[in-house]
Amino acid sequence: MNTTSLSAFEIARRVRAGELSPMQVLEEHLAQIAAVDGIPGQLDPPAMDAREEQKVHAFIQVTADLARKQAEQIQAKLARGEDPGPLAGVPVSIKDIFCVQCTTTTAGSRILYNFRLPYTATTVARLEQAGALILGKTNLDEFTYGSSSESSAFQPHPNNPWNTQHVTGGSSGGSAAAVAAHETPLSLGTDTGGSIRQPAAFCGVVGLKPTYGRTSRYGLIAFGSSLDCPGPMARNVSDAALMLQVLAGADPKDSTSSIQPVPDYLAALAEGVRGLRIGISPDYDHIAYPDTETGEMGIQAIQPEMNQAVREVAQVLASLGAEIVENVPMPNARHGIPTYFVISRVEAASNLHRFDGVKYGYRTQKPVQDLSELYRVTRAEGFGLQPKLRILMGMYVSAAAHSAHYYQKALRVRSLIRADFERAFDPTGPYRLDALLTPTTPTTAFRRKEVLRDTVLMQYSDQMTVGANHAGIPAISIPAGLDPQGLPIGVQFFGNDFREDLILQVAYAYEQATQQAPWRQEVPQALRATEVK
Amino acid sequence: MMTQYEIVVGLETHIQLNTETKIFCSCKADSWGAEPNTNICPVCSGLPGVLPVLNAEAVQKAALLAAAMHAEINPVSYFDRKNYFYPDLPKGYQITQFDEPIGKGGYLDVHMPDGSTRRVHIHKLHLEEDAGKTKIEAGRRLVDFNRCGVPLVEMVTEPELHSGEEAAQYLTELRQLLRWIGVSEADMERGHLRCDANVSIREAGSTVLNTKTEIKNMNSIESIRQAITLEAQRQIAAVEAGERVESYTLDWDADTGTLRKMRSKETEADYRYFREPDLLPVKLSEEEIARIESSLPELPYARKMRFIAEYQLSAYDADILTSERSLADYFEETVRLSSAAPKTVSNWMMNDLLRLMNDLGKSASELRLRPAELAEIIDLVESGKISPATGKALLRKVEESGRKPSEIVTAEGLGLIGDEDALRSQIAAVLSESPSEVANFKAGKESLLGWFVGQVMRRTGGKADPKRTRELLLEILRK
Amino acid sequence: MLPEKITREMFDKLVSLAALELDEEESEYLRTELNHQLAAVKELSEIQLDEDVQPSLHGIECQGNPPRKDEWQPFPDPDAILALAPEREGRYFVVPEIAQPGQEGQ
Ligand SMILES: [Zn+2]
Repeated sequence: MNTTSLSAFEIARRVRAGELSPMQVLEEHLAQIAAVDGIPGQLDPPAMDAREEQKVHAFIQVTADLARKQAEQIQAKLARGEDPGPLAGVPVSIKDIFCVQCTTTTAGSRILYNFRLPYTATTVARLEQAGALILGKTNLDEFTYGSSSESSAFQPHPNNPWNTQHVTGGSSGGSAAAVAAHETPLSLGTDTGGSIRQPAAFCGVVGLKPTYGRTSRYGLIAFGSSLDCPGPMARNVSDAALMLQVLAGADPKDSTSSIQPVPDYLAALAEGVRGLRIGISPDYDHIAYPDTETGEMGIQAIQPEMNQAVREVAQVLASLGAEIVENVPMPNARHGIPTYFVISRVEAASNLHRFDGVKYGYRTQKPVQDLSELYRVTRAEGFGLQPKLRILMGMYVSAAAHSAHYYQKALRVRSLIRADFERAFDPTGPYRLDALLTPTTPTTAFRRKEVLRDTVLMQYSDQMTVGANHAGIPAISIPAGLDPQGLPIGVQFFGNDFREDLILQVAYAYEQATQQAPWRQEVPQALRATEVK
Repeated sequence: MMTQYEIVVGLETHIQLNTETKIFCSCKADSWGAEPNTNICPVCSGLPGVLPVLNAEAVQKAALLAAAMHAEINPVSYFDRKNYFYPDLPKGYQITQFDEPIGKGGYLDVHMPDGSTRRVHIHKLHLEEDAGKTKIEAGRRLVDFNRCGVPLVEMVTEPELHSGEEAAQYLTELRQLLRWIGVSEADMERGHLRCDANVSIREAGSTVLNTKTEIKNMNSIESIRQAITLEAQRQIAAVEAGERVESYTLDWDADTGTLRKMRSKETEADYRYFREPDLLPVKLSEEEIARIESSLPELPYARKMRFIAEYQLSAYDADILTSERSLADYFEETVRLSSAAPKTVSNWMMNDLLRLMNDLGKSASELRLRPAELAEIIDLVESGKISPATGKALLRKVEESGRKPSEIVTAEGLGLIGDEDALRSQIAAVLSESPSEVANFKAGKESLLGWFVGQVMRRTGGKADPKRTRELLLEILRK
Repeated sequence: MLPEKITREMFDKLVSLAALELDEEESEYLRTELNHQLAAVKELSEIQLDEDVQPSLHGIECQGNPPRKDEWQPFPDPDAILALAPEREGRYFVVPEIAQPGQEGQ
């Protein structure tokens, strides 16, 4: 057993106490990456052999030199008797949608191939400031557009460490896999419709989407600018709290970042759930799914283990003194994906306008007649299918002739979705919830290639998570068991605006109470492989 | 009978606000003379991941302009994205204000030389960012992003102007107003004030709006006058010849004084406007709006009318003295400090101060010669302590040295010789040198008096008090 | 009323507006998926909304910093931005000329 099994909290504690060298932490994590990750994602990958098929492939780029420099700085600070920060010596991986000076930033797209930006995202800068070691950039769906991480232009895509024939989820799939496979105890993800929580659930880790504006978007290549949230991914709840503490806070470079004071998340963790009101909603035990020909919505059951996990978690919390509030109506939850199909696409199409081969990134090598051909060919060659589809959908629903029908309507439906949550959390209302407990996903991790081409089904993978993005509220996904195939099950707690402290507290209580549960003793396949060796 | 036509003109103006920095980033707003792509940052050059942050001063200046245009200042306005592809637009969208702009309504009263007034209503007044510049070289486009993100107010008039002359007058008064309230340098040659015109014609008395053409690239007021006049004539000739006016864009070539067809106007492009999610709504509280509105100075036309009524100035003088706010302030301050009549102060400014400013290329506020010094000089002349000629020369001396007028008068001995003995001895000397003129005078040629005064002035270097000299000469010669 | 399905012709126009071009296979696949997605959003039009339901821009109402002060802070390295250009000449970004209308498709 080495430092790759330690929590971020424990690594930082030992490094700060001088009991552990940050260089040792770094080398052991680099060794773990070398053992489990396989070849990094790349534009023209070699043929994959059976051995590579079983690797995790979380990374596009490992930044060992950068991390070594940072480790040296921590050592120097310790030697000078300075505070090396709350994440001193903790390896962190960064979803490759954040700009980090000294690294390439690809967004998983050919159009940003070999692209180095002269600035660093605020969230990443805060991690560096806190003493974290930036170990590399993790793979993702191209421009974060997807829920399996398979759509990256950089292949091989990440595989689920619990079963490499299954997807990691996405779009922060590389980050979830890196954390699950003990390559880094923490990873920085982004969540636009569920992109932190869904892969966290699929890979059996903790993922938290903060309140919109709680973490700065500066330096994050935008998908849906009104929905995007950077947030922590970790192996346990206290590590997620520790990381959020570093990430959160106002940023003068992001006008939408909040000036609300940041509470002490770690201090609140152990306060328990006695007296807290935890809701369960019948509107989250199934999904409404459209017939893709007629648009007729039908009710579809979700994997039964998901609802069962919610029941079990509720029982544990009840036994700890929480009050379980049944039958909380969330009637507009079903509109989450249709609304998202419109709002996120409109913003995405506009955000992708700037990638045109004029200023940076990929430009076609073919001879072109004029500027418009340069745009067309560059974008045709540089973007994969998912960006193209989002551009087309976004342009269609925001066209002057259709905007009132689609985009303007979707913005108003978004208010309805928000109103459901407001009613549930209203301290003077009928439910007065502190958290709403739901499954994170309709199913556990699906098999590779199984969903990829069905873009509607893929999107519905975010049905349970997307409400938090529309409403702007925080939500956390935590592991809550394994299904009969041995794949992780995640449950989710939604919280009220800026009440990350409360949902972390509830999640922590459950986590502590189930430390001895048999499923927690199971180890991902990717780790078993290295242990055998 | 010949058909009478009415010309219908609407103007779209872009006003560059004179803030220190750009609207959404901390680059300098003005790149005049800068090398291409030196005044840029990740935000204004459209790099991914970065975000716009609104400049508070741009909002203040736009709101002040809205107030000056008698527009209603919107307590909550929004930024929107206008999406299109063009190489000078690095984000692929322009951040602008679409349906909830900072100003609603408003008008400008345009005062024509014949004394008539035309009220031109404002259709839209909003804040937006400027695009970059491109130029064509060897069949390729070279792109410079220095200008990207410069704060602009776009102001569109209703089609309520009816000649090139009126359009030119509108621009003249708008330019004066912009400088007056201090929101823009409004230098058309530097592109601080840009104007496109929509021109159509209709039969006099009709209210229909016919097909219009759009004229671009008019970068002086004279160009606007000429281009609109020319285009209206062309449209009338076309219609008279039985042709139809087609909708297209025309490019004004100031060198040749001609209009060139640029392109047929495509069907209205779809910009897919939507709210800019990276920015918050622009909120101005009631108190802030009240503060902005009350900070608005007396506007040029009102001030001109007051100058005529209060100081009995001619319309011509009042017009010139209110051409710029600093000049009007200078005038009123001098009037306050001087014991001379306002009309006298006006004469000094119109005749001498403006010439000095012109020679030095300075505005009134840039002069070292402040109203206190001008008032002092005028008072010295009016009280007979110095000659008008000395007073005029003093203007330049004070400006150059920065010293007080009275100090210079004393130091250089410029005070008039009013002392009787001194004058008498100078006169005696002149008379003794000119026996034949004395004889002629005494023989009745009294018109020589002026010549004698001139001789005394010459001997004293212009310092002899002319009135007293004349009196003494008459007394001595008639004895 | 909105069309039930996006036809090939409408789709091609959309592709051109989006400054894209697609091969036959991509085109068929993306049009099918686009139609499926539009089917999925059809339910939005069936939602009855009270007049007082306002559009929501960010879910929560953002409480951000006030607009920034008008103070010049030059970016330290504009050359690093210029260095990203796929094609440049001197200090300019370079692109091919814009086609004049009428020339296209001749
Ligand atoms: Zn800038």
